Amino acid sequence: MVSVPKDFDPRTYDPVEHRAPLVLGDHDFHTVTESIARPVEWKPPIGWYLVLAASLSLLGLFGVAIGYLVWEGIGIWGVNNPTSWGWAIVNFVFWVGIGHAGTLISAILFLFRQKWRTSINRAAEAMTIFAVMCALSFPTIHVGRIWLLYWVFPIPNQMAMWPNFRSPLLWDVFAVSIYGTVSALFWYTGLIPDLATMRDRAKTRIRQVVYGFFALGWRDSNRHWQHYEKAYLILAGLSTPLVLSVHTIVSFDFAVSQLPGWHTTIFPPYFVAGAIFSGFAMVITLMVVCRSVFKMQHLLTYRHFENMAKIILLTGSMVGYAYAMEMFIAWYSGNPYEQFAFLYRAFGPYAWAYWIMVSCNVISPQIFWFKKARTNMAVLFIVSIFVNIGMWFERFVITVTSLSFDFLPSSWAYYSPTIWDVACFAGSFGLFLTMFTLFVRYLPMVAIAEVKTVMPQANPHHASGMTTATGGH
Amino acid sequence: MSHGHEKKTLRLDEVTIPRNHWWNTFMVAGAVAGVAGIGATFALGAADHHQLYYSYLTSFMYFLTLALGGMFFVLIQYAARAGWSVVVRRIAENMMATVPVFAVLFIPVVLGMHDLFHWTHAEAMEDPILKGKESYLNQEFFLIRAGIYFAVWIGVALYFYRSSTSQDTTKDLQTTRRLQAISAPAIALFALSITFAGFDWMMSLDPHWFSTIFGVYTFAGSVVATFAFLAVFSVMMRRAGLLGGVVTTEHLHDLGKLVFAFTVFWTYIAFSQYFLIWYANMPEETIFYRHRWENSWANISAFLALGHFVIPFFFLLPRTIKRNATTLVIGSLWMLFMHFVDLYWVIMPNHHKHGVHFSVIDVTAFVGVGGVFLASFAYLTKRHATVPLGDPRLPESVAFENF
Repeated sequence: MVSVPKDFDPRTYDPVEHRAPLVLGDHDFHTVTESIARPVEWKPPIGWYLVLAASLSLLGLFGVAIGYLVWEGIGIWGVNNPTSWGWAIVNFVFWVGIGHAGTLISAILFLFRQKWRTSINRAAEAMTIFAVMCALSFPTIHVGRIWLLYWVFPIPNQMAMWPNFRSPLLWDVFAVSIYGTVSALFWYTGLIPDLATMRDRAKTRIRQVVYGFFALGWRDSNRHWQHYEKAYLILAGLSTPLVLSVHTIVSFDFAVSQLPGWHTTIFPPYFVAGAIFSGFAMVITLMVVCRSVFKMQHLLTYRHFENMAKIILLTGSMVGYAYAMEMFIAWYSGNPYEQFAFLYRAFGPYAWAYWIMVSCNVISPQIFWFKKARTNMAVLFIVSIFVNIGMWFERFVITVTSLSFDFLPSSWAYYSPTIWDVACFAGSFGLFLTMFTLFVRYLPMVAIAEVKTVMPQANPHHASGMTTATGGH
Repeated sequence: MSHGHEKKTLRLDEVTIPRNHWWNTFMVAGAVAGVAGIGATFALGAADHHQLYYSYLTSFMYFLTLALGGMFFVLIQYAARAGWSVVVRRIAENMMATVPVFAVLFIPVVLGMHDLFHWTHAEAMEDPILKGKESYLNQEFFLIRAGIYFAVWIGVALYFYRSSTSQDTTKDLQTTRRLQAISAPAIALFALSITFAGFDWMMSLDPHWFSTIFGVYTFAGSVVATFAFLAVFSVMMRRAGLLGGVVTTEHLHDLGKLVFAFTVFWTYIAFSQYFLIWYANMPEETIFYRHRWENSWANISAFLALGHFVIPFFFLLPRTIKRNATTLVIGSLWMLFMHFVDLYWVIMPNHHKHGVHFSVIDVTAFVGVGGVFLASFAYLTKRHATVPLGDPRLPESVAFENF
């Protein structure tokens, strides 16, 4: 008997498990708008100011660290010879990796018709953009003479110097800046209907003008929506290869070299899996907090977290697969340098970092095989922190172990960071958290218009089918 | 998006292959081609064992990767709790359930080990680098590993196949729940087994060469070809009226999207491997591409880049191509052809090092292994309903629409 229930709704319909609805509780379009707009419209609690103050202090630290760096030179860092790439590159790759989840959620999950993305995509995309900003700051300051940074762009100058197009570091400039630009456009496109909502709800003239300016005259007309949907699909299609390309290019920074531990063919897909892994971990970290602080339990439901936990488990296992392949092929290659590099990673002076990486990235997510863990906010939060730590250490292990023990034992040197390395890294969190704190205060952190499309009321067969998916403000 | 009321009864006889249908001829023809092809392969190859086993291995890997790709498709649908794909899942299940046949088809590979794998020769292992790999590359462990791969594949395939087909009559929800629960661990087993099978049966043909991405490469090619096979048979069986009229343009569109997406994925993986090896330019790695750039192999290499990516990318990109059954089949048949070119390009240069030498044995081996595979596939298709009648998500799949 093939029959579809009369109120068949692909968002929640499932005969096997009776999927939980994506918006919990007795909400209609209006109350959803209210609950999302509240943190933007209410007078912020004292806690918000405290977080902002703490973030700004860290941002100040970033400024001081960069100022001193520019004044004194990168000698203030722990980089040495042979380890000429230290924390700056580690932090760059760490932040770029985190910047993968947002656009993945918005673009790839959109193409895969994963409706649950609607509650998390806005904040995740914002996180992406802020993470890319943090990421870009590290290569920028690492060039030493910051005022010559424009040399990376292929613009003619009087010295007839052109960037080296065969250098993956130059490709990074293009890859990351294109990614940042498209991600920002994508995010902004998605924001337009919500900015109009905020404009229409504005109580003060200044809010009305500012939100209205950025809403680009959105009036919710049928034609607007048609253009919007088309633009969204095109941007999703364009962003999908971009998500993969960025970390592929980042992996090229290492893998095109001939250095054992860096040069291995699995690097591109392995880095992309790792980036998605770390990005989702950061989304979980932030969303667990936002969920309870901003009372978004009805929008950020257990089902959302469970799905994200599954992605963490999947990508964490992919990363584990890549570690195993590297180890196996290092042995199988018969290349003594390759074998040495991996033996030293696991059992040399950096073994502590290697095993932190393995425990955090491969072992800790395995707890998500259990539904109890996937639906427990404390476990989710702790594992997401582990993954954030583990992924930072992964980049540390890759960058530092391969460099510090190169082909010539006489040049080996143990790498240790200085206080300024720590200040730069901690400071980048200041930039990230400042941006995010401002974001949750001034923009709707859940896509209001989109989340309504996954509510039962959006179904034309719904009993109260008079409302439209976009109404309610 | 939602289509209530389309009440339609899907009866068993609508999704069962009738007694006098040409499908039976297809099955018998496959069996005849299989026996004749394998017979001819061995008869013709008596004079040239190297050619015999290399041709055989190429076709063996070609059809094995289809069967394994079918398994991957089934596992991933359960793991993702996918609704749209139920109406075409039985086709993939039938592909997957041919895996036990490949355990038998593997026998010639074992017989031909000495002709295929340089490392099985005692004198080869005097090479210090190969000596270092002896604990992995030795005949006993090679056979043990093959046994493990087949045990995993047969175990997973038969378990999922039997559960799914028994659900046709029991309509038991519990079956779906159970398969969903074990699909994720099964994917982990699948990933490791196809990786090491790729290492053992293709990469170790040149025992000096290595590439960490090779397992992913094996997988990527397998999956493209599988989606293409699914698209071709969905259209063919739908036109023959064997699918009970439940497979619609919407399902074909989705299969087309997957063929397209994984064509790009294959390219991504193939390019990553090529590009990193080219850039670092280390002789122990570049040798792989060096062989494949020698004389007429360069033509095949260029054709692979063009035919496995450039042409299908632009051909499959438009929506209309994927929603038109005829053009979808053209694109899919092309990808099935290119998957063979890909494997030929991976395997054959280990034998014909200085240029392409097409042999009639290539054809007989393809007909032989392909005949056995298609006959098994046709037989399995005939035994059960062509659509998983008892799957709880069948209505969702029937009502599915792209929007």
